[in-house]
Amino acid sequence: MGFFSGLSAEQYDRQYSDKKLFTRIVDYFKTQTQRLVVISITIIVRAVIVAATPVIVAKGLDRVTGQSISTQFIVTLSGIVLALGIISWVSNLLLRRSSARTIAELIRQLSTDAFTASVRQDLSFHDNFSSGKIVSRITSDTREFGQLVTLSTDVLMQLITSIILAVVLLQAEWRLALAIFILIPLLFLLVLQYRHAARKVTRDGMRAMANVNSTIKETVSGIAIAKNFRQEESIYQEFDAANQTSYKVNIRRGFILSIVFPILRTVGGIATALLVYYGAMSVLQGVVTAGAWYLFLSTLDKFLSPVMSISSFWTQVQTGLSAAERIFALIDAQHSIQQIEDIKPDRLLGRIDMNYVNFSYTPDEPVLQDFSLHLKSGETLALVGHTGAGKTSIGRLITRFYEFQQGEILIDGVDIRRFNLIALRLQMGIVSQVPFLFSGTVEDNIKYGCPGCANADIMRIARQIGDGEWLETLPNGLDTEVGERGSQLSMGQRQLVALMRVLIQKPAIFILDEATASIDPFTEAQIQTALDLILSETTSILIAHRLSTVKSADRILVMRQGEIIEEGNHQDLLTQGQHYAELYNTYFRHQSLAYVEEAKKYVRK
Amino acid sequence: MTAQTAENISEFSFKTKYQTNRKSAGLWILSHAIHQWPWIIMALIGAISNAALASIVPIYIGKAFNEVIKNSPSLAVIGRYALIIGLSQVLRGFLQFVRNFGFEIIAQKIERVVRQELYVNLLGKSMTFHNLQSVGDLMARATNDVRELNYMFSPGFNLVIGSLNFLFIPLFVGPTYNSALILAPALFIVLYTLALWHYLRILNPVTSNVRRNFGQLNSRLAEAIDGVEIVKGSAQEDAEINRFSQNAIAYRDASIRQGDIESRFLPMLLLGITMAVGLGHSLFLLQQGVLNIGDVISYFGTLSFLGFPTFISLFAYSQISLGFAGARRILQLMNTENKLDQNVQGFDEFIRGEITFEDVSFGYNDEETSLENINIKISPGQTVAIVGQTGSGKTTLVKLINRTFDVRIGAVKVDGVDVRDWYLEALRNQISIIEQDIFLFSRSIADNITFGKPEATREEIIQAATEAQAHDFIMSFENGYDTIIGERGATLSGGQRQRLALARAFLTSPRILVLDDSTSAIDSETEDKIQQAIFRAAEGRTTLIITHRLSQIRWANQIVVMRKGKIAAIGTHEELMRTSPSYQKIFSE
Repeated sequence: MGFFSGLSAEQYDRQYSDKKLFTRIVDYFKTQTQRLVVISITIIVRAVIVAATPVIVAKGLDRVTGQSISTQFIVTLSGIVLALGIISWVSNLLLRRSSARTIAELIRQLSTDAFTASVRQDLSFHDNFSSGKIVSRITSDTREFGQLVTLSTDVLMQLITSIILAVVLLQAEWRLALAIFILIPLLFLLVLQYRHAARKVTRDGMRAMANVNSTIKETVSGIAIAKNFRQEESIYQEFDAANQTSYKVNIRRGFILSIVFPILRTVGGIATALLVYYGAMSVLQGVVTAGAWYLFLSTLDKFLSPVMSISSFWTQVQTGLSAAERIFALIDAQHSIQQIEDIKPDRLLGRIDMNYVNFSYTPDEPVLQDFSLHLKSGETLALVGHTGAGKTSIGRLITRFYEFQQGEILIDGVDIRRFNLIALRLQMGIVSQVPFLFSGTVEDNIKYGCPGCANADIMRIARQIGDGEWLETLPNGLDTEVGERGSQLSMGQRQLVALMRVLIQKPAIFILDEATASIDPFTEAQIQTALDLILSETTSILIAHRLSTVKSADRILVMRQGEIIEEGNHQDLLTQGQHYAELYNTYFRHQSLAYVEEAKKYVRK
Repeated sequence: MTAQTAENISEFSFKTKYQTNRKSAGLWILSHAIHQWPWIIMALIGAISNAALASIVPIYIGKAFNEVIKNSPSLAVIGRYALIIGLSQVLRGFLQFVRNFGFEIIAQKIERVVRQELYVNLLGKSMTFHNLQSVGDLMARATNDVRELNYMFSPGFNLVIGSLNFLFIPLFVGPTYNSALILAPALFIVLYTLALWHYLRILNPVTSNVRRNFGQLNSRLAEAIDGVEIVKGSAQEDAEINRFSQNAIAYRDASIRQGDIESRFLPMLLLGITMAVGLGHSLFLLQQGVLNIGDVISYFGTLSFLGFPTFISLFAYSQISLGFAGARRILQLMNTENKLDQNVQGFDEFIRGEITFEDVSFGYNDEETSLENINIKISPGQTVAIVGQTGSGKTTLVKLINRTFDVRIGAVKVDGVDVRDWYLEALRNQISIIEQDIFLFSRSIADNITFGKPEATREEIIQAATEAQAHDFIMSFENGYDTIIGERGATLSGGQRQRLALARAFLTSPRILVLDDSTSAIDSETEDKIQQAIFRAAEGRTTLIITHRLSQIRWANQIVVMRKGKIAAIGTHEELMRTSPSYQKIFSE
């Protein structure tokens, strides 16, 4: 899966010139020159040994043909073969050790750089590009590139062996040698043909399998509901059809994949037979020695074996290089947010001024135009409006997640661009619509923005919310594991944890994008308590979805298409009976107690 | 459904071709493999004759060599040898294909039948089982683990059996020249087996350590990227980068340890030594005049066949062990017991709709108690709202009614009869549970509505959908009721899914309706629709609603407030407003 998802291009992808790509890659190997030297030497040693063994045995055969043989000769010859075997093993050991280290270190460096770059990227970058694809660049692509190193050493080794053998064979008998060389293009053609066919069945197979897999997944997830309605028979038929299709597709694929080695084997076998005959003829004619004839026979396989690997090597090199290109593109992607100074403020008061701000996500669709907004220190502001009114954008600009194009934003009278970003954000509490928790305990998550905070503090604040009842309902209190992305907690509990995170951090500015998820009324009441605690101590901007939140704001801003169209408190705006009243009737009416009473009209028993 | 055989105790049974032995993974795989015997024989013939024919090459090269160094060599004889080599290799190519494809067929057939066996078994499992089992887990078993079993046969067994034959060639060919020549290959086999065993034993923990480290790196990475807003918002970029670096270093070090072990692959050294010893040994016999040069060449040639099992075995053995692990996981799942039985002789009547919980306690396992001391009495036709925080036991409570779970202490009674004394099918047919996560099949909307009543007419479907307030949004799709769910923009919101499920219930008209409602309406108009649909669904039947909606709670006949597995308060709205402070709080503005 990673293979396919990693392949599609993203906007930030770029084409590196060969030279630039090469220098980038070389940079990553620079720290490992020693290992590279070891790898190169051992590759050559191994290649030479693989080629040398049959040559030495053949020479030995020539010595013993038709004459008596001495014990010393036997010992020497087998001693040499033994020594070659041992050297080959040792060089293999060194090669594997060095390449394992080189690759592991390469992957570490690449993935760490890629991760660092993506974490430092602007939020706009992450909003635009799927996190799955970024993750696959950091893990799959780096590994893919690492594999290129293994592959290159293997192919290089085989190639050197083949070249040495080619020279040796040419020297031994050039006509026989040329006859063998003719086989190479023939085999190449065969392998390419096969690869073409295999790629097709594999691709078809993959597609069919994806379908089958999704049907199987659906029929498995549907079991429970099928049982509920006693429809086992019908769901079984659906499953069975998918299972049979899977079988047929795989058999076809298996057939093609089973055929390649036998064909290569047959070609090699026929070549050997011809070589036996014509080689023997040459020996009888006195053109070559018996030993040389043996040499041809015993090296045929080794000589031809790189054909298979080299024919696929080029595609794999391309795959590996484009993996590298994708990683570098991720590392090099431009940031749009630039700070101009590095002010690390003391405790901020939380006064916010936006003056004539222009902002758009894409150049032709302005979101905010000449937008101005002023918040006093400690004020609570609720933003309401239909989707697309620009409420979320205001939060994103103040948190400096996105860059605005014109105007200025001041915090405590200082241009927001002059702050050190880390220092600035440490004084901001941000809760997003779907609170994100990291796997770990509730405590880990509460302390996320403030690793040094004391547990006693957490407990004290936790108790202020509904007498700490929410902690009691967690199976292990603060030590409860929240699961991946907080999946073990309910949405309401996740929000409480996110609010606790802010309470413990004690920010000067609080920005809340309120959740729309349904939460049980008891938890809801506790969330309200936590919220009230935060609001009393911070300058707050609330993108409100709940009636009680709107009511608790000092000031409500009604927005439409990036503009403020009404301003005031809940009661005043409602009496005015204009835009706010319309919004109220659309989004908030059903949250009121009046509505609850009114629901009686539906009860018909 | 008859109740005689053991299989029929489960909730659903379906004929599979043959019974399997599920005592252990090995026996189970064997009991599947045995049924593939024609293909196994074919593949084995392919494997053995492939190896035998391979040995023709060095043997006849040796013969040809002997002929050449004769005083009066005959090119015709050599030509015949060459012909034998050529023909044998063509035949070998064919047999190698028979071996490969034979194993491939076995693998595919086993994958198919195992998946079928697993699926039938899953269909037969109780609702309890399916409620407790994560669907993701089941899917992993039915796709990945079943596939591992496939790979275990091809390439796994294919390569192991195929290459093991080559291990024995020198053992058989050597002694035909001189019985002493058995020495080198025999020693190799013994030492090779020991070395390989040792190698796999030390490699296994190291590779699983690599996998673990990678898993750790990957899951934190995915979380950090997904949660990048909170990372940045909390100014924790450096901490995350640091954490990633640590994980990357751990992964690197684990990979290096694996590389180090792989680099010391002893069988390769043994191969080199065996070749040298074999060469020396045969030359020695040549010196004594026992062997010809051609024999030495053949022997040395067959020794090089040992290379095949030496290198291929690594990959193949790990494939087989993965297959075994998969088989064990599948078996574990299939062998999980079904606790509930059908109770075919049980009570089988039309349900009026009275439900009582009498001193009910329940726990998913012996250590914890999820429900304690529950007493509720619901009259026929009443609507009961169940409220409480997540984990307070609301969902568990309602699942005792249709025997998804059975109580530990006390009794749940429907119409005064303990649910355990009911005929399970009669009970469940009249109880409809609409879960929080509503599962819809990728079929048409109409098919999804009629899932519980396939014979329903189009008029009935439309009426049900209209009552569930779903007709309007269904008609907003281009293909109306024939819209395939999940296709081209036909994705449904939680509220829409819920209303389809309600339409299902209108069609099957259950006596008891249980609704786990956690949807939220973005706007008041949608909320109106949901309210109407739910109140309408509750008419004329006993209804239990787990809800967050104040209006549902407000107008229920009875409200049960759950807290940590116990009933914190129970009564009508007016009663609770008088007695429960926390209840009052949720109804204050």
